[in-house]
Amino acid sequence: MSEPVLSARDLCKSYPSGDRRLEVLRGVDLAVAAGESVSIRGESGSGKSTLLHLLAGLDVPDAGELRWDGSTDTGAVRRARFLGMVFQSFYLIPEIDALQNVLMAGRILGRTRAADRARAEALLSKVGLAGRTHHLPAQLSGGERQRVAVARALMNAPKLLLADEPTGNLDERTGEAVMDLLLGLCAETQTALVLVTHNAAFAGRCQRALTMHAGRLE
Amino acid sequence: MFGVGRGTSAAKRMPWYVYLALKQLFPSGRRFPFFTLISILGVALGVMLLIVSISVMGGFQREIRRMIVDTQGDVQVRAGGLLASPEAALAAVDTVPGVAGVTPFAEGVVMLAYQGRPVFPAIQGVDLDRVNRVVPLDRYVRVGGLDYLDDDSIILSSQLAQAIGARMGGRVEVTSPLLLERLNQNEVFLPRELEIVGIFEIGHQQLDSNTVIVTLRTMQDLYGLGPTVHGLNVKLDEGLDPDVASRRINAALSEVAPGAYARSWMEANQDFLFVLQLEKNLIFFLLVFIIVVSAFSVTSSLLIAVVRKTREIGLLGALGGRPREVAACFCLQGLIIGLTGTVAGLGLGFGALHFRNDMVRVFTQLTGSEEALVRFYQFANLPAHLAPGDLRLIVVCSVVISTLAGLLPAWRAARLKPVEALRNE
Repeated sequence: MSEPVLSARDLCKSYPSGDRRLEVLRGVDLAVAAGESVSIRGESGSGKSTLLHLLAGLDVPDAGELRWDGSTDTGAVRRARFLGMVFQSFYLIPEIDALQNVLMAGRILGRTRAADRARAEALLSKVGLAGRTHHLPAQLSGGERQRVAVARALMNAPKLLLADEPTGNLDERTGEAVMDLLLGLCAETQTALVLVTHNAAFAGRCQRALTMHAGRLE
Repeated sequence: MFGVGRGTSAAKRMPWYVYLALKQLFPSGRRFPFFTLISILGVALGVMLLIVSISVMGGFQREIRRMIVDTQGDVQVRAGGLLASPEAALAAVDTVPGVAGVTPFAEGVVMLAYQGRPVFPAIQGVDLDRVNRVVPLDRYVRVGGLDYLDDDSIILSSQLAQAIGARMGGRVEVTSPLLLERLNQNEVFLPRELEIVGIFEIGHQQLDSNTVIVTLRTMQDLYGLGPTVHGLNVKLDEGLDPDVASRRINAALSEVAPGAYARSWMEANQDFLFVLQLEKNLIFFLLVFIIVVSAFSVTSSLLIAVVRKTREIGLLGALGGRPREVAACFCLQGLIIGLTGTVAGLGLGFGALHFRNDMVRVFTQLTGSEEALVRFYQFANLPAHLAPGDLRLIVVCSVVISTLAGLLPAWRAARLKPVEALRNE
């Protein structure tokens, strides 16, 4: 069997809460294969976002091991090349247009050639925003903004996409459209997807549906 | 602006933090942000005021230097009293390398009366054969000329002539302290009668209102000096250091005119020049605080931006941006504000300097202070001169202070951990 794209073993994380420590993750094990889609559901405060931040290398676990493509290097530069992230609140930079927001992911890696620009334009076209490339985020609807965020997450051709409640700020129809897009693009590009969501229907569309309960994945 | 629009080649190649710094100050397709405008304006006003003030102070310094050198030469030789053997001293000074010309002078104060109207001007006796090699009097004679000056004539300064109503060809009576002394001894007292053959104007109120010029022989007669003079004015070759030249002249004079001492115009006026420089430095020190205050405003605005953009900063970290690059993004905003404000300030400053006399004229007309300006500041027009060193200092101060203004916000932004910034959601 080939090496999983993402492998987390016995991840633990706790935070100080008054004079005690609040254990959020109590030994999470997760392996995601290339092109596989995995959903994680759970109650608010169950540790879904904390797990996603650990998987993204944005936070350090108290214990356990995280591997990306078999490597424990989860630094900033590797992260930029290896994974893309989509957030509930889009996090687009308001001063630059949709195209530049997508390009920003490449620009951070020093990718500013014509081919990179063409890729950003192609991604915007794929998410249905070919005619809105030079619109500022404020001139786009919520659904359009999230599509820009999806295009940005795919800009560096990542092997893994982490999506934290990507439809949380969207109405049902727009949310479905964004999910269609997200799952379709991941399948098309063989990008592994870890989706954190409250929505059972969206979770059910992933190849594997997991639930976070008492700090563990079930 | 700045070539960061869509698809410009400069924008394509820019590191992300430079691109984002420019975009945060000058966003695409939006009005000029108020924060950027106010920040740039603050720096620009500081630079403008510095340019105008330092230029005017520099102009005063240069005018004063010009007047001193034009009326006294680069170096002046004095003997403490009278120079007993001026011919030998002249010959000795003439042989000093770098000396372009030397002329003797005698000076004092006289009572001058025109049609019964008396004034008490300073009087200068000049050697007509030599004076133009040292002091460009011809340049300042507005009516008549030095060619008409002889032992029975006089040249008046413009404002003095105007004050007593004297005209060309008129005759004035000159009474010296020597004549008054003779009067005290019951001797016959006859003032010297001289014909007005010229009127000069240097542009300095004090000189233009209270000076007259006669030949050296006339002055020697009026003061009973015989062949002696009060000193020598020396003109040097262009570019020669007057202090170096004065040392050479002192060496040459040590045998032929013991007791005579040559001083450069800087040494002779060092107290005055020191006060001028001190004033200029103080003005610079005080006005630079305008830039410091505007830098505080830049710091405060950028700090607010760091707080407002916490999640965006977190996102940049999540996308792979390093803390030092995030810091550079905010620090660069201070630098860009400094550079833009400085360029705008230079434009405003040089514009204000170009129209300075018109502005002063309007101001003095409104306040009725035209005469006061000439009386107290000596110059009919506001002089201005900006030395390259002063310009460099203003530019460097402005850019450095503005860049420093971005340091604190940059440090705060760099310390933000992406996970904590994103958790703000």
